Amino acid sequence: MAVLRRAAFRSLVALTLAAPGGCAAPDGRNNTSTQVEIESLAGRSWDSVVARARGTTVLWRMWRGDASINAFVDGWVAPRLGERFGITLEAVEGQGPEIVNALVTEREAGRGRGTASLVWINGETFSQLRQERLLAGPWSGRLPNGACVDSASAFVARDFGQDPAGYESPWGTVQFALIFDTARTPRPPRTVAELAGWIHAHPGRFTHDQGFTGTTFLKGVMYALAGGVDKLQGGFDEGRYASARDTLFAWLRDLSPDFWRGGVTYPTEVAAMHRLFANGEIDFTMSYNHNEVVTKVRQGVLPPTSRALLLRDGTIANTHYVGIPFNAPNPAGAMVVADFLLSAEAQYEKQRPSVWGDGSVCARAALPAEWRARFATLDGDHLALAPDSLRRYARPEVAPEYHARLVNDWRRIIRGRER
Amino acid sequence: MTSRDRAAFLAIGLVAAPAALGGVYSVAAALGFAGAGAGDVGLSRFIAVLASAAVWRSVAWTLAIAAVATVLAAAAAVAVAVRLQASRAGRWLAVFPLAVPHVAAALAALILLGQSGLLSRMAFATGMTASPAEFPPLVYDRVGAGLVLAMAWKEFPFLALTALAVLDTRGHLFEETARTLGATAAQAFRLVTWPLLWRGLAPASVAVFAFLIGHYEMAALLGPSDPTALPVLTLERSLDPDLARRGEAHVLGLIALAICVGVVGLHQRARRAAPEAS
Amino acid sequence: MTRPGESGRAAGVVTRPADRAVLSILFVVVAAPVAVLALRALSATWFYPEILPPAGSMTTLVALASDARLWRAGAVSAVLAAATGVGAATIALAAGRVIARAPKAVRTAAGAAALLPVIAPPIALGVGLQVVALRAYVSGTFWGVLFAHLVPATGYLTLYFLGVLSAYDWSLEDEARTLGAAPHQVLARVALPVLRPRLVEAVVLGALISWAQLALTLVVGAGAVRTLPVELLALVRSGDDRLAAAAALALTVPPALAVSLLARGARRTGTVA
Repeated sequence: MAVLRRAAFRSLVALTLAAPGGCAAPDGRNNTSTQVEIESLAGRSWDSVVARARGTTVLWRMWRGDASINAFVDGWVAPRLGERFGITLEAVEGQGPEIVNALVTEREAGRGRGTASLVWINGETFSQLRQERLLAGPWSGRLPNGACVDSASAFVARDFGQDPAGYESPWGTVQFALIFDTARTPRPPRTVAELAGWIHAHPGRFTHDQGFTGTTFLKGVMYALAGGVDKLQGGFDEGRYASARDTLFAWLRDLSPDFWRGGVTYPTEVAAMHRLFANGEIDFTMSYNHNEVVTKVRQGVLPPTSRALLLRDGTIANTHYVGIPFNAPNPAGAMVVADFLLSAEAQYEKQRPSVWGDGSVCARAALPAEWRARFATLDGDHLALAPDSLRRYARPEVAPEYHARLVNDWRRIIRGRER
Repeated sequence: MTSRDRAAFLAIGLVAAPAALGGVYSVAAALGFAGAGAGDVGLSRFIAVLASAAVWRSVAWTLAIAAVATVLAAAAAVAVAVRLQASRAGRWLAVFPLAVPHVAAALAALILLGQSGLLSRMAFATGMTASPAEFPPLVYDRVGAGLVLAMAWKEFPFLALTALAVLDTRGHLFEETARTLGATAAQAFRLVTWPLLWRGLAPASVAVFAFLIGHYEMAALLGPSDPTALPVLTLERSLDPDLARRGEAHVLGLIALAICVGVVGLHQRARRAAPEAS
Repeated sequence: MTRPGESGRAAGVVTRPADRAVLSILFVVVAAPVAVLALRALSATWFYPEILPPAGSMTTLVALASDARLWRAGAVSAVLAAATGVGAATIALAAGRVIARAPKAVRTAAGAAALLPVIAPPIALGVGLQVVALRAYVSGTFWGVLFAHLVPATGYLTLYFLGVLSAYDWSLEDEARTLGAAPHQVLARVALPVLRPRLVEAVVLGALISWAQLALTLVVGAGAVRTLPVELLALVRSGDDRLAAAAALALTVPPALAVSLLARGARRTGTVA
């Protein structure tokens, strides 16, 4: 009897799940209360947005795995937001891909608003969030500091080839770089072809990880082997992808017997690669942030003779953004935070190599003269890469489908040794 | 049934309900009704997973690793419980790894057993190896040696605690009675202590095995990339950049659940087959 | 006749050589991983082929210890752990006692129910808990996370008590009942004194299960409930091994103190004097 009662209760719970959490209007916009609020805020003056945000809390979900970034956000950004705008910023753990799942479940089963008002997203996560209609907006055009954003730059104006369309606001840029040890490798390879030669000459000393960094490395090589990134720009094209992928995989098959562990196993995350590199098991590690080598040397993770290296065939640069989830409890506060992140002083502080070394999204020309001078001082830092070499070798991301297909095909064909 | 009994069953029901609900949701997501990338309702995700040789390699490898680790942990637990039941230091040491987070244990395994780890450095210092690559790979390897050791290290305290609890509750009373009646130590252990122990340890071992099949952290830090450990594969699929494939993670979860149910079923059958200890 | 558990040896002291060998091996096996973590946390760098770190450094430990955010997270974790331990142990013991003496079919069903949160794949359990929490308006709150911790803890502890009670001597309670004791008297005067060390262990185990949770806390707490693992585990995976080892030790110290409670567990058996 009790068993039957429990089963009935459970079915009831399940039935209540059938009630949808929120319907979308025909133009794809949600009609949740957050969306309504954002649209009403868009109609008001910025001062009223700031006033509405005063005294509130903003929960910002971001990656918390780097102590330098945490120190910048908790120790520099948060106190200033508190002093100037009366906003309490709580930066908490939550990474893009997981947030997509969490938000989908919140939409399916949730009642009312969620917990996070701001999320750190980029490229492929943005595409997924838009696909699932999990972002509120548009709102980023509303930000006063948005005027500084370098919209002429292909890297900022388009996120993985997509148009942000006001649903996300940029806040930093980074560029992929290999990391090597000048003590062990005084004359490192400078092109993809030279890298292949180096790998054959030094078997067992190179590998890449399975995470975002490793995939970025593979994409960069894929662009180079395909004859340049412009061959793959525009939307996703199955034919172009298939031929680029096959060239890349042929290159990998030729090289992987000379990879670390014979190319049979690959580190899961780039953190494992840093460890292997620092202890001399491999001679290269990598990062999608060209300045990470500076912070990691300072933290004692990498040997002091480590340096970043850009391949002359080009390395991928991309921008990271912040977005407002469809059920954000405090969109006004989130907008104020996003705007502050775009301020010249936040962009400058963030770019200092002793703080984080994250690139600025502001166009230098749009800044007042004194800020232009201050940014110029950062260019001279001996550990950072020269900005014109960064620019020369920067390549934009292409449509997110290339990334998704490459990840899955790599896992199936190279890692799984399928023919 | 008294009201107290009913309350007890209601409590158990509340505990089981979220898991049951999660199972229902998993089935729905695996069919395409729910979750990120829902749509295209049907068996396509099931087919994609079940037809993949890589998935079955993962499953077999994960089962083997979890089984070896569980047996190793249980053997160590029995040895410690029987030998060190009276030792305060022994008990403290036996349960200490419970306090160390799984990720920390994996990190320690890397520092100790990696090709550039402490053991390898000692080998280098004594001249046995000349570089990290010459040290046998114990982590990120197909054999999974480092992973098994780390898992066994982390799980053996729970089993030791259970074994000690069984021995404490029943006490040495029966074993000593057997001894005074003339049995040798080995006979007393085999006929009296061991049946008690395995009955008490079996449910806990099943729980440990089920945990290890689904545990992501250690496999991600110490396992090889192919065969990919099942929990790593599941998480990978649940965060797949192609949203339409995320439902496959739920299929993988249901496979893991089916395996656990199978193991529990085997345990129940073994229990029924063995006669009750008097 | 010697008290069971003492067998004529001085309590707490191991004398037989085989026993001493086991103890020594146990010591090395348990201490080695912790020692390397401590060494890494206290060293500035420690690269191959250095056997010992060349230079010590307290900066990371000091930085962690002076971070107020971490102390707050530690407090949240401690409260959750205590509540989970006590709650789960109480429910598990009560349910376990009922199940252990129930007819076979009921025992099987209830055992399966207790087992479900233990064998449920994390992806299913996580989403199930998230959905329940969302519908009950407790997602992203302390109470939601407490519920999320209680579920697996109660499952494990029920199995633990089922194991313990399978070796339990019910005749003591039956005798007390035939002598006219009421159920609550049997509980207070017979069962609890016998089972007290097991109950203490269960509370500690439940607390440990709660303390170590990360995935469920993130899924149900949605980032808003910050426990120590939520704050630190991203650092442990970050690749900065010194910080990772220091964070690992920070996560280990409070449970290690709790674990000492476990070791004090009765060397006497359950027989009432």
